[in-house]
Amino acid sequence: MSADKVKSVKEDFVVPHKLFSLSRVWAIALNTFTQLVRMKVFYFMLIFSVLIIGANFLFLNFTFEQELKILKDVSFGAMTLFASIFSIVGTALLIPKDIEDRTLYTILTKPVPRFEYLVGKLIGIILLVAVSLVLMSFLFFAVLYFRQHAILAEEIKMIRGGATDAQKEYLKETIFAQGVSPELILGVLAVFLKAAVAAGVALVVSTFASSTLFTIIVSLVVYFIGHAQSLALEYYFPDGQMYGALQTFIAGIVAVVFPNLQMFNIFDGIITGQSISTTLMLRLIGLTGFYLTIYSMISWILFAKKEL
Amino acid sequence: MMAEEIIPAVQINNLTKIFPVPFRKEKVIAVNDLSLCVEAGEVYGLIGPNGSGKSTTMKVLLGLISATSGSSAVFGLSSSETASRGSVGFLPENPYFYKYLTGAETLSFYGKLCGLSRRKIKERTSELLSLVDLENAKDRRLGGYSKGMLQRIGLAQALVGDPRLVVLDEPTAGVDPAGSRKIRDLIIELKQRGISVILSSHLLEQVQEVCDRVGIIFEGKLVKEGKLEELIEIESQTEIILEHAEPKILDQINELVQASEETRVLRSGKPKTTLERLFLKETGAESEDVRKDS
Ligand SMILES: Nc1ncnc2c1ncn2[C@@H]1O[C@H](COP(=O)(O)OP(=O)(O)O)[C@@H](O)[C@H]1O
Ligand SMILES: [Mg+2]
Repeated sequence: MSADKVKSVKEDFVVPHKLFSLSRVWAIALNTFTQLVRMKVFYFMLIFSVLIIGANFLFLNFTFEQELKILKDVSFGAMTLFASIFSIVGTALLIPKDIEDRTLYTILTKPVPRFEYLVGKLIGIILLVAVSLVLMSFLFFAVLYFRQHAILAEEIKMIRGGATDAQKEYLKETIFAQGVSPELILGVLAVFLKAAVAAGVALVVSTFASSTLFTIIVSLVVYFIGHAQSLALEYYFPDGQMYGALQTFIAGIVAVVFPNLQMFNIFDGIITGQSISTTLMLRLIGLTGFYLTIYSMISWILFAKKEL
Repeated sequence: MMAEEIIPAVQINNLTKIFPVPFRKEKVIAVNDLSLCVEAGEVYGLIGPNGSGKSTTMKVLLGLISATSGSSAVFGLSSSETASRGSVGFLPENPYFYKYLTGAETLSFYGKLCGLSRRKIKERTSELLSLVDLENAKDRRLGGYSKGMLQRIGLAQALVGDPRLVVLDEPTAGVDPAGSRKIRDLIIELKQRGISVILSSHLLEQVQEVCDRVGIIFEGKLVKEGKLEELIEIESQTEIILEHAEPKILDQINELVQASEETRVLRSGKPKTTLERLFLKETGAESEDVRKDS
């Protein structure tokens, strides 16, 4: 045997263990995504289509502004609902099931650190939420685009004696201001970030609960309280001041346990035509990163020594 | 290479595992001061009734639960280190896999977790599918697999990372005789490839032909351990099995025995086949090995 052959045999034999491997995390994430897709979750797109196409025909007697506004309201509402449900139910369904079915044994007895398993699951679910939001946005923007053009044509037709160019231009401007705009993408991004935070909450709950139903209920409670969190903090600390270390500490704990989800509801503003500052978006992204990091750490602490 | 042969595949020292019972004061001692060692290349059988602590011992060995006291190591690496899983393959008791994946996808998923390259995964997947005889089912989802097929895909899954030690928890439980025969043949094949195996069973005769050494575990304690033949040999007795014995010869043997002072005939007659062999013969599922030793 030549020297280099000996070496290659040896390398085959002793695979050095990597403390953290992105390819393992990615394998778990893709597996999670595939699993959810094969559970036929994308059938929800049918419901979503019915909802937003239906929204066009329900309110025919409204002004065009109201009509477009309702379409956007319904779409954003449905997107928020679906994205949040996917992230909570998806997490609650898959992790406790892995534990219950002992599928987890086969994964963790490969050289996979427990942290990678958690992060992989989280990424897989967030990936599913992202893909479903992209699909929903496409449909939403297409319907909105179609509606705004249809409304414009209708309004122009309604002007007796034919519209002048100036009138046409005016109508186009006012109608399209309610139509497809880049701001809407920011709104969708905020919906995504909120769902990602919800998935993080469900991850923490599922690592200690090991029960699907319990995880869903607790996560939903946290989700709803999260929307009222800022109100509660404002009530107890009216002028925004914390008196002393203890109160700051309590407020900090509350903010971690119940993430401020109200902050992510920027689509109300977008629908009424407010512009969204880059600073706000960056803050939301930063906040999401912060929450996901904290939640991954907490679930790892809970999971690292868990007896399986 | 020398050093590797000296390091045992499994080294468990004075392992104790106590489970607290929720809302109660008493505790369950699942494993009680158990020590055992599996040499590299050896097939070791852990035998004991249900609830005697076999699965618990294996879970500690694989780092799924932590020991209350004592230590366990795989090829010299402590079970608490993730790296110790690098050279192990595990088939849990009654395994469940992702039923939305096909057989081939399952193996490739576990291959990725072992850090194998794409090319290597392809190679290993087709090699293992033919080893466990599931080539025809490789594109079917596991949701439609039978118990025996799941057990075999589980075995393939355990082997995907080219392990030097394979841990099998009740590999033949709940599988029909032909399937269980197939699994035992696979274990023999692993042994021939130099892979160490530790397996558990509550059925003694199912494992006796594949194990080099067995340990008998009862209520968490290792009560007896040794080479199989030595354990089951009855020191004071000798067996003679004759084919086409003429009555004359039998008479002569009897006379000789009667003439002797100490020797006595305890039993004579036709040897019995085992029910399992009968089943395999009648269903035509008999394999080479069965014919050889019957
Ligand atoms: N997670 C657990 N919590 C409490 N008791 C357990 C747990 N796992 C196993 N036991 C108990 O430990 C003992 C040994 O179980 P086990 O190792 O599964 O036995 P075997 O695999 O030999 O059938 C049993 O009495 C069982 O009830
Ligand atoms: Mg068991």
